[in-house]
Amino acid sequence: MQLETFNYDNRIVRNFGIATIFWGIVGMSVGLLAAIQLVWPFMNFESPVTTFGRIRPVHTNAVIFAFVGNGIFMGVYYSLQRLLKARMYSDALSKIHFWGWQLIILAAAITLPLGWTTSHEYAELEWPIDVAITIIWVVFGINMFGTIIRRRERHMYVAIWFYIATFVTIAVLHIVNSAELPISAFKSYYIYAGVQDALVQWWYGHNAVAFFLTTPYLGLMYYFLPKMANRPVYSYKLSILHFWSLIFIYIWAGPHHLLYTSLPGWIQSVGVVFSIMLIAPSWGGMINGLLTLRGAWDKVRTEPTLKFMVVALTAYGMATFEGPMLSLKQVNAIAHFTDWIIAHVHVGALGWNGFMTFAILYWAIPRIYGTPLYSKRLAGVHFWIGTLGILFYAIPMYWAAVVQGLMWKEFTPEGVLKYPSFLATTLQILPMHMLRAVGGGLYLSGALLMTYNLVRTMRQGKLIANESAQAMPLEPIQFTEKSKHRRLERKPVLFMVVALVVILIGGMVEMMPTFMISSNVPTISSVKPYTPLELQGRDIYIREGCVNCHSQTVRPFRSETARYGEYSKAGEFVYDHPFLWGSKRTGPDLHRIGKKYPNKWHFDHLMDPTITSPGSIMPPYPWLIEQKLDTTTTVAKITAMRKLGVPYPSGYEYQANGDLDQQAKAIAADLKASQVNVSPDKEIIAIVAYLQRLGTDIKVTEK
Amino acid sequence: MFKQITSLNGNEWYLISSLWMFIIFFITVAILLIKMKKQHMDYMRHLPLEDEPEIPEELTEKN
Repeated sequence: MQLETFNYDNRIVRNFGIATIFWGIVGMSVGLLAAIQLVWPFMNFESPVTTFGRIRPVHTNAVIFAFVGNGIFMGVYYSLQRLLKARMYSDALSKIHFWGWQLIILAAAITLPLGWTTSHEYAELEWPIDVAITIIWVVFGINMFGTIIRRRERHMYVAIWFYIATFVTIAVLHIVNSAELPISAFKSYYIYAGVQDALVQWWYGHNAVAFFLTTPYLGLMYYFLPKMANRPVYSYKLSILHFWSLIFIYIWAGPHHLLYTSLPGWIQSVGVVFSIMLIAPSWGGMINGLLTLRGAWDKVRTEPTLKFMVVALTAYGMATFEGPMLSLKQVNAIAHFTDWIIAHVHVGALGWNGFMTFAILYWAIPRIYGTPLYSKRLAGVHFWIGTLGILFYAIPMYWAAVVQGLMWKEFTPEGVLKYPSFLATTLQILPMHMLRAVGGGLYLSGALLMTYNLVRTMRQGKLIANESAQAMPLEPIQFTEKSKHRRLERKPVLFMVVALVVILIGGMVEMMPTFMISSNVPTISSVKPYTPLELQGRDIYIREGCVNCHSQTVRPFRSETARYGEYSKAGEFVYDHPFLWGSKRTGPDLHRIGKKYPNKWHFDHLMDPTITSPGSIMPPYPWLIEQKLDTTTTVAKITAMRKLGVPYPSGYEYQANGDLDQQAKAIAADLKASQVNVSPDKEIIAIVAYLQRLGTDIKVTEK
Repeated sequence: MFKQITSLNGNEWYLISSLWMFIIFFITVAILLIKMKKQHMDYMRHLPLEDEPEIPEELTEKN
């Protein structure tokens, strides 16, 4: 056996690093704009493409898939080659992966502001982009497994297990949650409806957090933290235990996003129990990380990379304790739909993902450029600005959440809601929203400082595109290893299959009964499909991103039924492709809004919300009055809905536009009687029709 | 805290079977761990530390 000489591909690491920085600044800037609009809605510049409902998914997608996504690939491409002592399997695949991923992000940045969205949170991209994501993800997988197969290190280090689990689980989540029926190039309907759609979405949404924001970062932590501290990981046994427990348990916890909804109670309970259990493996990772620093805490004082890592791990510990606590029904009853969830998410995103990404950038860029960091002092300033940013972000959000959550639930001694106006509770927390924007601004400033520091670092060095390395080739195996896990550590395909089985168990136990046992979603005979005009209005509601601020599910609490009306039933959503329950109440719930106010109220409210609700932070939607409703899609929409099981009569699609015109004219006539002149072919007529229909099928039954 | 678990209307089977699945899985992993040798653990722990040289001393950051 001769020592082999080979090269590590640092160019791909550099490319993903630059993309991480660029998209990070874009994503954070859009987030800051969204935060400012929650205080001053006119900051949408009166344009639909920069209005909150459309830019909120731009922010979340940019931060999750562009900033964190590129950060994952940067770290994986750096560590994988070195842990396996092999260059990436194919330079061509690396390039296809890089440019394909950037094009997907660009497509998202163009389509989401245009309102081309599926409305599923963190999966808003329409079907052609979903297909592209699948292809590029497979390219990444081939490149990763090709490298693993050509390795010069027999056993796969724990970081690589996390990368494998990430690859396989994200593939499963993305495919299942992207099951859509296209009706045009950029419009589709999910094949699932109502409760089932909600379960699939939050199985996906929760595990996108788990397997995109957590497991790859744990893998990165297991590689980069020992490097930064120059200490081996504290306990390899703990890493094994926490890896398998984490991927097994995480997948079950999604239903905690749907507590007190019409999701079957047993699934909610399973979600709660597994969420509580999740503390153990999550903290296993955090403790393993922090204890890796034993004997190296003096370095934390001087090394900015370690400072970032310590806060990242602490934020991970806080977020993974808080998550299970929020899953307790009693806590969830107050915290859900409030800013608490926003604070929780941002402790994880800003602290865990953001800070670890910064640490890796500060660590890797100087090394691949063969030069020291331009300024440690600037990196230190970045650390403190960023930490202050997190505090200024999270603390006001917790404060706002407790204030608003309690105000929603407070009754007077006479037994009526103390704050019947939802707007009063919103106005109460606006100062907290202002402080949150300050926090976001601080965090962004830190990122800009880092960009300057890293650009100067790159300029003073030279990229070592092909870094030379040497290692012995793998010898043929002469004996059978006794330990089963040790054998597993050198069999990547078997490892992937075992990880796949482990993550499929939870999903199947929760989803199959919900889909196959009809008693889990009881039907209601009075619930009918939407009329063609209502269906078109619903799609405008989706396009404008109303679901980002308004929920459509009334929970069975006295405080909610007193405020909104009868609590929501599973059978009311059976024709909802997709479900629109939402996850945040910046504005009130809308499930029982139908027939609550006259058409004129809705017209005024959409034209300028401050007419009906003085002080409202909802943006005006004047373009709905100007834009003509596109009825050329009605046939395709009705046909697609029938294919998905909505009982429109055969051939109805051809008379649908006639019915649509008739209903639109009736609404326009009603508005005219209230001194509002608007043509029946405008978009606002359709969305008013949809809003007036919401939650009314149950009211029919009561009569 | 777990009040909701006591009234599942016959659906507790799902919960109990889920927990059993985890317990069996957890015990299996624990047995695998116990059987692993310390020598292998130490070797694996040190893997990230042996892959590349540090930045040369003369390039130590000055700022």
